[in-house]
Formats: sequence, C-alpha cells, structure tokens
Amino acid sequence: MEQQQQDRIMDGDLQTLGLQSILKMLALSGKTGTLFVHSGPETLSICLRKGQIVALREDGVPHPDLLSMLCLLGKLDAARAQAIREATRGNPSLVLPILMDQGWMSPDEIQQRLEFAVTQSISHALRWVDGRFAFHRQLLPLETRMRPLDIDSVLLEALRQADEWEELGETSFTRTTVARWLPEVSKEVQNIRLSKEYIDVLCLSNGEQSLQGIALVLMTPEARIARLLEQLLTLRLIEVVDTALEGALLQDLSNIIIMSQHTLAQQGQSTSPEQHLLGLIKTMSTCINGLFIHHGKYARSLRGRGQLPVSEIVRYLERRFLHPLQLLARQHYPILETASFINGQLDCTDILTLDKLVRGDQLEEFYWEAVQGLAAFLRMVFSEVLRDEVGNSHTGRQLNTAWKYFLEEIDREVYEYQKYRAYKTTQAGHNHQVQQLGIVPNYGIQQSEGGQKGLPQTQRRSI
Amino acid sequence: MAIPTVLVVDDSPTVRKIVQMTLQREQIRVITAGDGLSALTSVADEMPALILLDIQLPRMDGYHICQIIRKNLQFRQIPIIMLSGKDGLFDKMRGRLAGSTEYLTKPFDSAELVQTVKKHLVDWEARMPPQHEGMRTRLRRRG
Repeated sequence: MEQQQQDRIMDGDLQTLGLQSILKMLALSGKTGTLFVHSGPETLSICLRKGQIVALREDGVPHPDLLSMLCLLGKLDAARAQAIREATRGNPSLVLPILMDQGWMSPDEIQQRLEFAVTQSISHALRWVDGRFAFHRQLLPLETRMRPLDIDSVLLEALRQADEWEELGETSFTRTTVARWLPEVSKEVQNIRLSKEYIDVLCLSNGEQSLQGIALVLMTPEARIARLLEQLLTLRLIEVVDTALEGALLQDLSNIIIMSQHTLAQQGQSTSPEQHLLGLIKTMSTCINGLFIHHGKYARSLRGRGQLPVSEIVRYLERRFLHPLQLLARQHYPILETASFINGQLDCTDILTLDKLVRGDQLEEFYWEAVQGLAAFLRMVFSEVLRDEVGNSHTGRQLNTAWKYFLEEIDREVYEYQKYRAYKTTQAGHNHQVQQLGIVPNYGIQQSEGGQKGLPQTQRRSI
Repeated sequence: MAIPTVLVVDDSPTVRKIVQMTLQREQIRVITAGDGLSALTSVADEMPALILLDIQLPRMDGYHICQIIRKNLQFRQIPIIMLSGKDGLFDKMRGRLAGSTEYLTKPFDSAELVQTVKKHLVDWEARMPPQHEGMRTRLRRRG
C-alpha cells in the first residue's frame, strides 16, 4: 500500500481535470507509467511509455466474446475458436496474440483491432463526468502486441466518436445494450435488401453480444452501431434485451396472473348464478388493480426515474386508462359508469354492493353486464401494459401465452353462465313458477345430481 | 453441464405455463401434465429431477400420485413439492403423510417457487438411480 502511495505521481477528480487534459499533459511530458481512471464500477488502466499508449485494460464491464462474434461473421470456424478458448483459459487479452501466432489473422489487422479497442475505450471514458484518476510510475504487465500509439491521434478519433454519441441525442441504447433478432422475421430479411453493414449487425444480434462488443468486432464506432440497431428495431427485425428488467417484470406479472387464477379457482364454489358472477367481478377487478400497481412501477415512461411521487403515478394511470374505461361504459356497458378511479385503482364498490339496492333477475342482469364490461376492460389493460413495457419481445410473447390461458379460464366460467342463461330463457315459458319462487334451475340441478354445488364446468375446485 | 427436468402437474394451463416460464429462465427444463395419469406416464418416461404436484386433479388426486411414486423403488427418490390452495395444518400433514418433500401454498410467489425448486435440485444428478444411467447420459447430451 505504502509502495503504491510512493509510486503515485498525481491524482485527482475528473471534474477538476478531464481525461483529455490529463492525457495531453502526460503525452507532452513524455511520461512512462499507468494512468488509472475510475468511474462507478468501471476502471480504465492506460499504460504509457514515453508519452505513448502501449496497452489498455478495461475493468468493471463484461468482456466481449470476440471468438463467438468472429464465428458468427464467418471469419473463424468453431473448431479454431474452441482451440483458442482452451489455450487462453478465459483470458480475453490472449485471444488476439494467439490469432496472430497461428496465422489466422494478419499482424496489420491485429494492430488495427487493438488501436480501435483503445480508441473505443478512451472515447467511452471521455464521457465520464464523475470519477477519479491516478497516475503511477509503474507499468502494468499487460500482454499486448500493439505498436505504441500517439495520444493526439487517439484522442482526436476518440473525441469524434464521443461527439457521435452526443449527436444521437435521447436514445435508449447504451454500450451494454444487448439485442436479438426476432424469430418470425427470418423469411422476410432477404426481401428488405439490407446493406452489408446492417446484415453484419443483425448477425451479431443473437441476444448475447453487447453493443460495445459488436462495435469492437466490426471496428465501427459504438454510436454508429446504436444507429444501425435503432433502424433494425424500427424495421422490427430485432428486439432489445434488458435481462434484469425483463426478469423482474416477468416475475411481477406472473405473480399477478397466479394470484388472479387462484382467486378465480376459489370463487368457483359459488352456489348461485349471482355468486358466480360476483366472483368473476371480484377476480377481474382484483386483477385489473394488480396490473395498475404493476404498471405504476414498470411503465416505460415511469421506470428508471427512481422513486416517483404517488400523485404522478396516479395521474399517469388515469391518463392512460380512464378514457378507455369511460368509452366502454358509454358505448357498451353503462354499469361501468359506477366504477371509478381512486388513487390509481379501479373502485368497483358500487357494483360489488349492488345487492343492497336490487335483487333477483335485475341484480343478475347488472352483474352480467359488469362481468362483460370488466372482461373487455381487463383485456385492454393487459395488452396495453404488455405493449408498453416489453413490446414484442420474447418475454412479451411468453407472458401473452400465459395470459391467453388465464383468459380462457375466465371465458370458460363466462361460457358456463351463458349456458345457464340460455337454459333459463328456454325454460322461461315453462317454468314461470320456478322462476318466481327464486329457484335457479341449473345451479340447483347440479346440487342434487352430483351432490355438489354449481354448474358442471363452472365447478372450480378448492385446492 | 446437464440440465435438470422438472415435471409440473396442474390442471390449470395458466399455472402450468407460468411455472414453465419461471423455471425455464433458471435453465431448468420443464415438462407438464394436466392430470394424474399423464403425470405418472411422464414420470416413467422422463424420470424428472423434481415434481411440482397440484393436489386436486382430474381422475387421480395429488396425494394418490405421490403415494404411487413413493412406493416405486425406481422413482421414490424424486423430490415432490405439493402445490395447494389449502394452507391448513391438516392438509399439510396429509401431504407429508402421502410422501411429499415440501408443501407450497397457492398463490405462490414465483421467486419463492424458484428458491424452493433450486433447494431441492442440489445434487439432483447424484440422486438419479443407477438403472437410469442411460437417461442421465441423455440429459447430459441435451445440456
């Protein structure tokens, strides 16, 4: 530690002295040593000899899998890649030297790639606002075959690349963004007539390589790759993968669906059509509210902004869903006018307590209308939530399938009630007395025949 | 590296799909069955490393399936996690008496499900009976 302290020539923070100035200063004074630049979890170690860059190492970021990418581009076969993997034993800095030693890549190309990698890393570090630097006398023992690089020319290119990022403006892409091609587009790609540049990026978008890695292997600035990816995204040829976000989102939505399915299964023990419909109303309104809570956390325009005031989330949810609800109520299901938005939640208390106001057939009719209205609204809310949060991603498609199954379970319950309604209508002429006595034909029949309550198919288990 | 196979037995397609999605993300292969008889067929065919078993199923309930598996020398080592909406002590005891390894109450949290499944998948390869060497090799190849 003490040795390190003595070894250090200078240090400071990047806000006081930017990386560009530090590098220029070291170049002018022809220093030899290692410059460490830290920002967040990332560290850049630049080795200088007599004011020229001789090696560079980036820590705190995943190392791009150069071998896999060269294979994807058809520049290296799988057997050679495997042989190199075994020889390097996971040390990425040994890949290029081995490629050169084996004669699988020319020394000029190696030099070009090393130069590009140095420029790319410095360009990235030039955009750091917060961070610290330290210059040590000692040179790090880094394995490199790179010919020394002139700092001025590296800086010039790095600054140009950094400017390109700035010109991109607001983009959702970062250098760690991972993209993957959409499986359903494979047949159409040939008809789109993409340029080689696009095809290369598309080939490398396999859901594993980062934007930084793609830029490195293609020796194209990261900002340019970001533009190409944006275009491919617009063409719906790729999707962006945010593994951590997708995992959290999947877990949250899965829990909502499981909870709703459980509520649906529980309500199946209803003894009358009113109870059956009431159970469906409760299941669907709970599910809708679960989706609202979820969307308040994961909506595209709300996420990544830290803890937001509840009022902002509520306003967002109302802006998004209140109008469609009102439209449904006005055009098809007037009963939904009694449902209101309170604190970003759908309040169905008036519908759930209708039994205090009306009874018999009229109550059943109101409930039936509410079931249909909520079913329509639930479908709309889920598709909106999914479209906004994950779009047509792999996770989105998986969740859509699970959701489809859940809706089918709801539909089955609704269908059973419809069968009962049809039965009631046909029997209406014959069974006036039964109706007047308040006996529910179908639900009653099942109870006596099977010794169980409820319709045969609506008979949900209590597990 | 070999990939473990988990059999999910539940009559709700929603539950089957959600569990499948959740476990597949954890690099676990998932097969599913919607009733008791198909579940037993899958156990014999696939020799899963773990079974997630719903209790109330068409044709044969989860307790019965669990007992059959436990009586079979070839499959008795497979951990069985019961999934149930009943959280009473009596139900849990009944599950335990039938031979279940663990009891999860519905609605379950997907993180909790993953945690429980992973807990019982530790050393799953070692539990595979010797007569299923062929199956183990097949699984390795799949992995």
